[in-house]
Amino acid sequence: MASLSSATSTPAASSTPIWSRFARSPFWLRIALIAAILLLLEYYGRFHADPAFMRPPSAVVEAFFTSVISEPKIVSALWLCITEISIAYGMSVVFGVAIGLIVGATKFSRAALFPIILLLFAIPQVSFMPLVILIFGLGPAAKIAFGFSHGIFPIIVNVVAGMRDVKELHLRGARSMGASKADIIRHVILPNMVPSLFTGLRLGMTLTLLGVILAELYVSTGGVGYYTRVFAENYNPAPLFALITSLAVIAIFFNEIVRIAENTLTPGKRRAPRIQSKSVQK
Amino acid sequence: MDRSSLSSRSVQWAFLALAAGAWYLATATGSVSRLFLPPPREVFTALVALVQTNAFWSAVLVTASTVAKAYVLALIIGILAGYLVSRSKLAVATIEPVISGLFTIPITLFFPMFILFFGVGTGSKVAYGATYAFFPIALNTIAAFANMEQRYLLAAQSMGGNRWQIFRYVLMPGALPVLFTGLRIGFFICLASVLGGETISSVAGVGRNIALTAELMEPGRMFAWISFVVCMSVVLNLLAFSFENRIRAR
Amino acid sequence: MQNNQDKIAISIRNVTQRFGDASQPDSVLALDNVSLDIKKGEFVCLLGPSGCGKSTLLNVVGGLFKPTSGTATVEGRLVDGKPHPDKIAFVFQESTLFPWYTVIENFHIALKFQGIPKAEWDDRAMAALRAVGMASFARHYPDQLSVGMRQRVNMARGICVKTDILLMDEPFAALDEQTRMVLGEDLSQLLAETGKTIVFVTHSLSEAVFLSDRIAVFTARPGKIKTIIDVDTPHPRSPDFMLEPKFSELRNECYALLRDEIRATMALQRDPQAV
Repeated sequence: MASLSSATSTPAASSTPIWSRFARSPFWLRIALIAAILLLLEYYGRFHADPAFMRPPSAVVEAFFTSVISEPKIVSALWLCITEISIAYGMSVVFGVAIGLIVGATKFSRAALFPIILLLFAIPQVSFMPLVILIFGLGPAAKIAFGFSHGIFPIIVNVVAGMRDVKELHLRGARSMGASKADIIRHVILPNMVPSLFTGLRLGMTLTLLGVILAELYVSTGGVGYYTRVFAENYNPAPLFALITSLAVIAIFFNEIVRIAENTLTPGKRRAPRIQSKSVQK
Repeated sequence: MDRSSLSSRSVQWAFLALAAGAWYLATATGSVSRLFLPPPREVFTALVALVQTNAFWSAVLVTASTVAKAYVLALIIGILAGYLVSRSKLAVATIEPVISGLFTIPITLFFPMFILFFGVGTGSKVAYGATYAFFPIALNTIAAFANMEQRYLLAAQSMGGNRWQIFRYVLMPGALPVLFTGLRIGFFICLASVLGGETISSVAGVGRNIALTAELMEPGRMFAWISFVVCMSVVLNLLAFSFENRIRAR
Repeated sequence: MQNNQDKIAISIRNVTQRFGDASQPDSVLALDNVSLDIKKGEFVCLLGPSGCGKSTLLNVVGGLFKPTSGTATVEGRLVDGKPHPDKIAFVFQESTLFPWYTVIENFHIALKFQGIPKAEWDDRAMAALRAVGMASFARHYPDQLSVGMRQRVNMARGICVKTDILLMDEPFAALDEQTRMVLGEDLSQLLAETGKTIVFVTHSLSEAVFLSDRIAVFTARPGKIKTIIDVDTPHPRSPDFMLEPKFSELRNECYALLRDEIRATMALQRDPQAV
């Protein structure tokens, strides 16, 4: 009797945990959620949607191969976009860090210059977009300039904040051990800034992408913006979605580079939280 | 005001004066094309003339009502969705990374889809602005409610508070500061995306007028529009910060 | 008594420390005309109610604060508001290990700041880590250690720089009672071995009695030395010392002295205008 009951209960007991483990794993739930959304879009796109406005994900994937990646002009527009993002971001990092270091260097320079930076950061730059195009023309220069002007501010702000938020305790400790001014900058203030710097680099990437994409879409006579307009005006949603998704993948790729750099280059596992307050991620 | 803040103030005024002086000199000497940077006087007269026209106010009204609609939409959906997600640890761990991940890619990418779905009128800008503003609002709502320290809730329960009382007197006041940060960020993102949407593709509104004056090569009027946007955004920022500080101080 | 123990290591003369302008109502008189001589190799505790200025005195000796008036002299040299890292090491209440360096890198940095040749860094660091039983954690980052372990490393860093004088500002305040006692034993052992002069700020009565050769009991603010109590027991001290009647007598004596001062501090907090 005892052995029989245990034999029947065992398979049931071992099969439930597997399912409940999946049901309790945020990672698998996330995958399931995304899959469900895609399936829903597939169903709706196939049987209910007007093909002039929406196509199912499968048709978008097909369009990616038939009318995006196979068109050399679109591919070169995408490559140009990648180049623009890289240059704009590189410039944002170099100038953002340099200006941040200068502004953050002393109490006085922070008090005098930081409010100006914050004020400039708060202005909606998009209102300058037509002017930027007017000055730099319809080519890549304008897109680089606009990406740069977006990307530089969060980097400056976070470098300054990181230099400001050094702990008095660490400064006192270093001074009591005989550290010189240069020692303190090299071994206390700069390493203390690193997590905040990476927060800035992450935000800077997001905003560089925004600036470049905004300018690309505004200039619809060439580049990626031209093709999005053509596809949208011809009510041809499948290649439009495919093109947009390609750009999104490029954006994700750029964000991932920054994230990986952050994870490998931050000493002592002192990563800044992802959202404003404490991160809730596992 | 002590001496050091006085001198940092003077640096700020000097910066402003320097910028204004550079603007004046660059245009007076003709070293910068009038097309890229018209003289201050021309911009000022254009702005004065502009605010006296009906077209100006109707454009401002279009943009303001678009922003208002988009913001209210984002507010309702963002807070509701954020609060619902925050109620379960599993939901937070599952959904929050999706929202914060999406927020790192420029939502602007999807702007052509909004044009496709909602047309070139204000509808597409409402949807686009609402979508963009949804992210910071939802993320901060989740952070505000999900990160409430458990010991406060336990303390409230042990004192005999019922669900409504705990929500009203513990959860809500604890969450407000973070929530308001999200609402502020959401508002300015909403404003910027509506302006951006109008600039890229629309038939009316402030953004449309900036793009139009640029196309028509009217730098005076274009700069008048831009200065209007800059002044408005500075004023709104100051208002938002003082409002937020007052909420925090309570 | 041996000869070198009679040499004065630290001499504090009429030190007064005021924070803020004396004419302003919000200025604070932290130390009022304090004088104290500390012999070489001696362990002196500064004991007093919180806010009485004992940490301030330590910072004056360490050269982190410049006193409003009076002088502090360390081995015949005037301190005068500048750190003397070749003579004095500091251990703070919270760990000042830099979170961006590993444990061993933290030692290297300290030795580098002191201008000690690179060839000696590893030996010195490992010797100090072994002394506190943390040698196997050399490659860890401070955030990977528990609070108690971190403070042990922090203390070891103060020891490894081989200055004659060690100033400790409530180094065990954040630790639990058991860890405190174990570290106290370690410290007593180290003192016996190295003959360092140690000035130790605390508000734990047992800690003060267990560790000190002399206890300087402070009054409430403005801080003055009320009495100096001698604890005449040689180092290293075993935990059994705490069971001796002498230990509790001294502890009670300290408590009796402090009680009035703590009440005075509380009265001051209730009504700052009372004094």
